[in-house]
Amino acid sequence: MKLATIGVGNAGSKLIDQMIKFEQSTGRDLCRHALVINTARTDLAKPEYVSEDRRVLIGDTHQKARGHGVGGDAEVGAEVAKTDIDEVRRVFDDVEIHEVDAVLVAAGLGGGTGSGAAPVVIDELQKMYDEPVYGLGVLPGKYEGGRPALNAARSLQSFVTKVDNFIAFDNDAWRSRGQTIEQGYAEMNEELATRIVTLLAAGEVDESEVGENAMDSSDIMRTLDVGGVSSIGYASTELDDTKQGLLAKFNDDDEPASESTDAAKIKGLVRRAVNSRLTVPCEVSSADRALIVFAGPPDVISRKGVESAREWLENESDTVDVLAGDDPRPTADRLAAVVLLSNVTETPRIDEIQDQAVDAQNKIREQDAVREEEIRSLITDDDDDLDPIV
Amino acid sequence: MKLALVGVGAAGTRIVDRIVQAERTTGRAVTGGNVLVYDTAGDAFTEATAIPSDRRVLLGDAHPAVVRPDDDGQDKETDAAADSATRFGVGGDPDAGATVAQADLPEIRRALDSVDETAAAATMVVVGLGGGTGSGVGSVVLDELRSAHESPVYALGVLPAATEPDERALTAARGVRTIVPLADAVFPVDNEAWRRSDRVSDDYARINDRVATRMLALFGAGEGSTGAEMRVDPADVQRTLAVGGLAAVGRQTMTVDAAGGGWLARLWRLLGVGTEPSAVDAGTIKTLVRRALNSELTVPCSVASADRVLLLLSGPPSTISRKGFETGRYLLEEETGTVEVLAGDESRPGATAVTATVVLANVTDVPPVERLQARAIDRLEATTDEPDSGTRAASAGGESTAEFEFSAGTEDA
Repeated sequence: MKLATIGVGNAGSKLIDQMIKFEQSTGRDLCRHALVINTARTDLAKPEYVSEDRRVLIGDTHQKARGHGVGGDAEVGAEVAKTDIDEVRRVFDDVEIHEVDAVLVAAGLGGGTGSGAAPVVIDELQKMYDEPVYGLGVLPGKYEGGRPALNAARSLQSFVTKVDNFIAFDNDAWRSRGQTIEQGYAEMNEELATRIVTLLAAGEVDESEVGENAMDSSDIMRTLDVGGVSSIGYASTELDDTKQGLLAKFNDDDEPASESTDAAKIKGLVRRAVNSRLTVPCEVSSADRALIVFAGPPDVISRKGVESAREWLENESDTVDVLAGDDPRPTADRLAAVVLLSNVTETPRIDEIQDQAVDAQNKIREQDAVREEEIRSLITDDDDDLDPIV
Repeated sequence: MKLALVGVGAAGTRIVDRIVQAERTTGRAVTGGNVLVYDTAGDAFTEATAIPSDRRVLLGDAHPAVVRPDDDGQDKETDAAADSATRFGVGGDPDAGATVAQADLPEIRRALDSVDETAAAATMVVVGLGGGTGSGVGSVVLDELRSAHESPVYALGVLPAATEPDERALTAARGVRTIVPLADAVFPVDNEAWRRSDRVSDDYARINDRVATRMLALFGAGEGSTGAEMRVDPADVQRTLAVGGLAAVGRQTMTVDAAGGGWLARLWRLLGVGTEPSAVDAGTIKTLVRRALNSELTVPCSVASADRVLLLLSGPPSTISRKGFETGRYLLEEETGTVEVLAGDESRPGATAVTATVVLANVTDVPPVERLQARAIDRLEATTDEPDSGTRAASAGGESTAEFEFSAGTEDA
C-alpha cells in the first residue's frame, strides 16, 4: 500500500516519525507523504524524519494556544484546527493524491491537540478525497486520569464515525516495569510502528519480488472496509544466518522432510500473534473480518503452514474467509506474522474508558457549577464587611 | 513559559529581584529581563540590584499622602526598620495607595509600556498584600494590566504573618477581596506558614528564595536546554490556572546518585559524559509526589479543595520512571478529587536531583485567608469601638515592636 500520513499532536507526530524510521531501516516504502500538525511550536521540532516544510503549526494566532499547545483541551484543539484548516490544506495540496492508496491520520486521543484537531483534519480529508482515510489512535491508560479518558471517549466517537477504519492502540496494554518515561513511550511507538508498517506495506511492489501468494493492497483495504475499530497482532522470529537457529531449516531446500514442522511453526507464529499483546485487547471472535500477512524471505513461508494458520484464525475469529498472504522480503532476517482483526466489537478497554469518561464529565460539571460561588465565599467574610480597595 | 513580572511595593520589589537573580543562577530564562517595579517609598529599590534602574518606578512624587525618608530629615539606614512602612510611602494605607496610583495613572501606564506583552505568555503582579502600596497601588496596576493585556495576568500576594499587626491583616484581607476577582489567578504566599522566627522580616530572604524557586520551577518548565517526553506547555499552565481563585504550589526534591557517584562521577555528569543515575523506582516517584503535596505549600490549604492540578517531574532523564510518573499523576487525581490533572516531565541531564512540583489551582479551603478575615473583622470592630484610635497611623505606630512586611534592611537589625 502507498500512504499519505498525517500525525496530529505530539503522540501522532512521534508515531509517524517512528513509522518512517522503521520503513527506512527495513527497506520498505509505505509512507509516500508525511505531514505533522501540532499546536506547540517546540514539539514540532521533534520529528527527525519529517522535513521542516511538512510540519504545520496551527493555533498560533489563537488566544488560548498561541503556539504553546492547547493545555489538554480538546475543544480548543478542534477550534484551532477549524480556524487554521486552510493552512493544513495548503500543505496537503502538494500531495499527489492519485499516487497513494489511502491516507492515515495518527493521533493520541488523551491530549487536546490529537483528540480535538485530528477529527477536524479527517473531515476535511474526506471532503477533499475519495481515497479511504484510516485513523490510528492511541488510547490513554487508566492512570492518565479522567480528563484524558474524557477526551479519548469523545474523540473516539468522532474518529470512528469519520474514518474508514480506526486502528486502536492501548497504552495500558503496553506498560512494562522499570522503564523510564522516555523509554516507555519510545518502545510503545516502536512496537506500534512495526505492526502498522509491516501490515500496510504488504502488497507494495517495490524492488521486492512478487510471489503468487503475495498479499495485495486491495485485500488489506477490503478487510478494513467494514469500518469500526481494529486491532493488530504481531509475532516474529529471527532467521539465523548461520542456518543453525530454530528456523534455519526453512532456508534449506534440501530438507523436504521438515515441511510439517515448518508448517507447525508458521501456525505457531500466527497463534502467538493473536494471543500475545494485540494493539488493543479484544475478543477475537468479535472481529468482522481478519487478515494475515507474512513478511519475510519467501522461501521460509510454508504454504501448508499458511493454510493451517488461516484455518485456525477462521475458527478463532469466527469469520469465514480469512485472507492470508505474503509480503516477500528476501533480505529480511526475520519472519513476521501480522494479524489484522477488523471491526472488533468487544474491546473491554474502550468500555472502561467510556465509564471513566462519564465519571469525569460529571465531576467537571459539578465543579463548574460551584466554582464562582466557592471563590466568592472564600474571599469575602461572612457578613461581607470587608470592602474591596478598588 | 515566558513571564513578565511587575512588582509593586517593597515586598513585590524584593521578590521580583530575587526571581531575576535566581533565573540568572539557574539558567532558566523566564522573565528575560521583562520586569518592572513600582514603589511609593523607594527604599527597597536600593536592594534590588538585579532590576535595572530604568525598570524602577517611584510613584506619588507630588502626592501629599506620600512621605519620603528624606522628607523628615532622617536617614533610612539608621531608622528603626519596623517604622519605615508606616512612616514612609503611603504609610501602610491601601486606600491612600489606590488614590496615589489613580493620580499617577499616566505614569503607571507609561511604565507599563516597557513591559513587552508579546515576549511573555503571561504577566504576574507581585505584591505584599499587608502593605498600603502592595494592596492599594498593586490593585490599580493589576486592573490596568488586565485591561491592557490580552494574555493572562496573575498575581502573587504575600499574606502577613500572625506576628504582624492587625492593621496589616485588615489590609491583606481587603487586598485578597480586591485582587482575586481582578487577576486570572492569585498565588498567595503565607508568611505565617513560612516564617521560622518571631520577626518575619528575618525570614524574608529565606522565604523569597523559596518563592523564587517554586515560581521558576513552575513557569520555567520547558525553558532553557531541557527536553521532555510530555512537555508542560505554557497552555498547560494557563489552562490549569484558568479557573481563577487562589493557587498553591508544592515542591519536593530528592537527590539521586549515579552508581559510584563521587565528585568525579558528578563532574563527568555535569560535563555531559559518564553514567546517568539509575532509574528511580515507581514507588519512590509516587512518594515524591505525595510529599510535594504535603510539603510546605506556598499557602496551606486543603488539597481536596483543588479544582485543577498540574504536576511537573523534573530530573535526569534516566531517573523518571514511566510507571512512577503515571501513578504519581493518578495519586493527585485521587487526593484532589478532580479529573483535571495535567502532568509533564522535564529532562535535565546532569541534574543530581529529581523534583516534583505540584500546582493546586483554585483551592477554596484556605485557613490562612479565613484567619486573616477574622483578624480583619476584629480590627474593624475595634476601630469602630474606639473612635479616638480610628486613624491607622496612630494604631500601627503604637506597636513599635511588631514586624512589617515593608521594612527594609532588617537583615542588619
